[in-house]
Amino acid sequence: MEIIIEEISRGHKLIGQHKLSKDDILIGRGYQNDIILSDPHICPDHLQLKFNGEHWLIEDQGTINGSYLEDGKTDLNNHIINSGDIFSIGKSLLRIVFVNHPVAETVRFSAFENFINIMRHPVMLALSISLFAVVTGYIFYLNRPTEANLSQLLAPVIGMSLLFSAWPVGVALMSHLTKHEARIMTQLGISFAFFNLLWVSDIIQSIVKFNFSSNWPLSNLFSLIPIALAFCLFWLNSYIGFHMTARRRIIVSAGLTLLFFGGSYLIQLSNKPEFSSRPHYDATIMTPGFMILPSSDVDKFILDSEKLFAKAQKEAAKKKGE
Amino acid sequence: MKGFITLILLVSTSISSFAVEQAEEIFKQLAPSLYQIRLIDKSSGEKSSIGSGFQISSDGIIATNYHVISGFARHPKKYRIEYLDHQGNKDELILQSVDVINDLALVKRKTDVEMPFFKLAQQVPMKGQELFSLGNPHDLGMIVVPGTYNGLKKESFNDRIHFTGSVNSGMSGGPVVNVQSEVVGVNVATSGNQIGFLVPHDKLVTLFKAFNIDKPTSIKQQMSEQLSRNQAKLITTLLNSPWKSKRLENAIIPTIDVPFIRCWGDSNADKTDALFFATVASCSLDENTYLSSNFFTGSIEMEFRYLQAKELSANKFYHLYEQQIQRAGPGNKASKEDVSEFQCHHDIVKSNNQTINSKSIFCTRGYKKFPQLFDVLYLSASIDKDKQALVSHFTMAGVEQSTALAFTRKFMESISWK
Repeated sequence: MEIIIEEISRGHKLIGQHKLSKDDILIGRGYQNDIILSDPHICPDHLQLKFNGEHWLIEDQGTINGSYLEDGKTDLNNHIINSGDIFSIGKSLLRIVFVNHPVAETVRFSAFENFINIMRHPVMLALSISLFAVVTGYIFYLNRPTEANLSQLLAPVIGMSLLFSAWPVGVALMSHLTKHEARIMTQLGISFAFFNLLWVSDIIQSIVKFNFSSNWPLSNLFSLIPIALAFCLFWLNSYIGFHMTARRRIIVSAGLTLLFFGGSYLIQLSNKPEFSSRPHYDATIMTPGFMILPSSDVDKFILDSEKLFAKAQKEAAKKKGE
Repeated sequence: MKGFITLILLVSTSISSFAVEQAEEIFKQLAPSLYQIRLIDKSSGEKSSIGSGFQISSDGIIATNYHVISGFARHPKKYRIEYLDHQGNKDELILQSVDVINDLALVKRKTDVEMPFFKLAQQVPMKGQELFSLGNPHDLGMIVVPGTYNGLKKESFNDRIHFTGSVNSGMSGGPVVNVQSEVVGVNVATSGNQIGFLVPHDKLVTLFKAFNIDKPTSIKQQMSEQLSRNQAKLITTLLNSPWKSKRLENAIIPTIDVPFIRCWGDSNADKTDALFFATVASCSLDENTYLSSNFFTGSIEMEFRYLQAKELSANKFYHLYEQQIQRAGPGNKASKEDVSEFQCHHDIVKSNNQTINSKSIFCTRGYKKFPQLFDVLYLSASIDKDKQALVSHFTMAGVEQSTALAFTRKFMESISWK
């Protein structure tokens, strides 16, 4: 009767698999055994598995540290083995399955696989990084209060690009350290593609803030775009770098997103003074070409401004009680 | 010629020696009615600020500046008001009435007998007339300072006498008398170097008369009414005065033709390496109303800024332009105790004559103690030209909703491109 014995870690990761076609199997530290384990807490003759024509039975050979079912301290002698049972001997775990044991469904290639394959292509990678560098350089140029030449912009551009590559490189290193494939080019390609998408979302947000009045309630929704993008990036990073269940991947990515945005939000909140005597208004302006909506007129503006007085009055009255 | 000079010298010496004698006489005669007014911190028992005051009735009414006793008006539980007379006697004073706009206050001391007091003048002095300012500068003791009446300050909305003579801190609230020892003004401020400002005596006469007819029941209510009346008067005057159009390079901006709004200008034409040309015209009311050491109101300022890109792309120009409009702040000082935070609205607004399209921002904050009053900030940035821009901006402090909006409308309508 064929039987499969798996050595697994405490986290139930597979370490080794043995398929045997015998009806009498010996397990222990001694070299005479069918399965030899090096765990010093295991006795030279530790376990015996026997097939009685109907069931597999397990028997401890009178060992020093004993053998147990993983979940409890049940005595193992003459225990009838069920497919998938896990035993603890010494400090090691063994899982026993029969040939008819069901296996998990085949994992399909994700829809992102195509995207990932395109982005990790050296040409695309080079394009992404150059686009990122050009945009960074342009933003530095716009922010400089004086004229700037190319060489003055080069240093910050290289600096920023290196700084931003630290993330994908870091993730790849983590994968490598956790015995996964590093896939550094893929991580770089995906990350830079998303950094560029973040620039695009910046522009969209500016256009929205510029065009819509503060009456438009959906403006704030657009600030969710970078959060969604960050979540997707973290999801893909873990998809590429680590093997984990879909649920776990979502939890990890959501956790990272929360840490990243929630952290910066908390920092902002703690830096906010209790009372600000300056007004906080949106001063986004863009060149006339970006104006896509028709303008309001003076009457409408005065009417909208009028509503602020009641709000300010309420605000002033509210804090009086404190 | 030589004789002429001597003559002038002789005459002037005789005048000054006469003045010294006069000052001495005045001081001796008036000293019993002069007081140092002190704000005493109740918990420590020590004085936290000092000023001067003078008695104006036989039953113990003393006039001083509002700003001398403002701490008490604001935190009556923290302070008490006390006087110190020329003989070193101290006792508590009770706040009776205030005029925040003219910075005056009436307090009352206990009296057992009829007391001497200052007479208020019937007439306005003549320009050049000699006056004597009395007070206790820097807690050094009562002094008398001779000086000259120089008429009313020209560009003030609420009258102030321009007095040539040293008015120092601590003399606030002290009387200024003519040679007949009649009060013609009250010390209130100084610009240093012999330039002093006084509240004209007629403001005190008005306050005292009103007080004798009907004593105010609530100082806060009284202040509230005064602030409302003053802002209504100020903004109505502004709205009814001629608004003249003026060129600021390629833009048309308004100037209000009233003496109390003064304008200044500047540009970066001297900076050849600047990426864009900028010129600024700003106009403001030179005075404000003191409510407490960190709460002022009643100010108005307008600012116009014209920008023109030199050799600059439109994108970079707008980027730098945006930085210019990001940090507008209120024109008056106010703390958390006094006002709410600003509430803002922004939109893109085309002027009624269709000539200018701007991103306009309107912000307002409410007063906690005077719920009908607001501070207002308006900022508008033109967004219809690639390489030219006009920023028009104003702030107003302590205004009511209707006046603020009427002013905003008029302001918005008077801006355009050439």
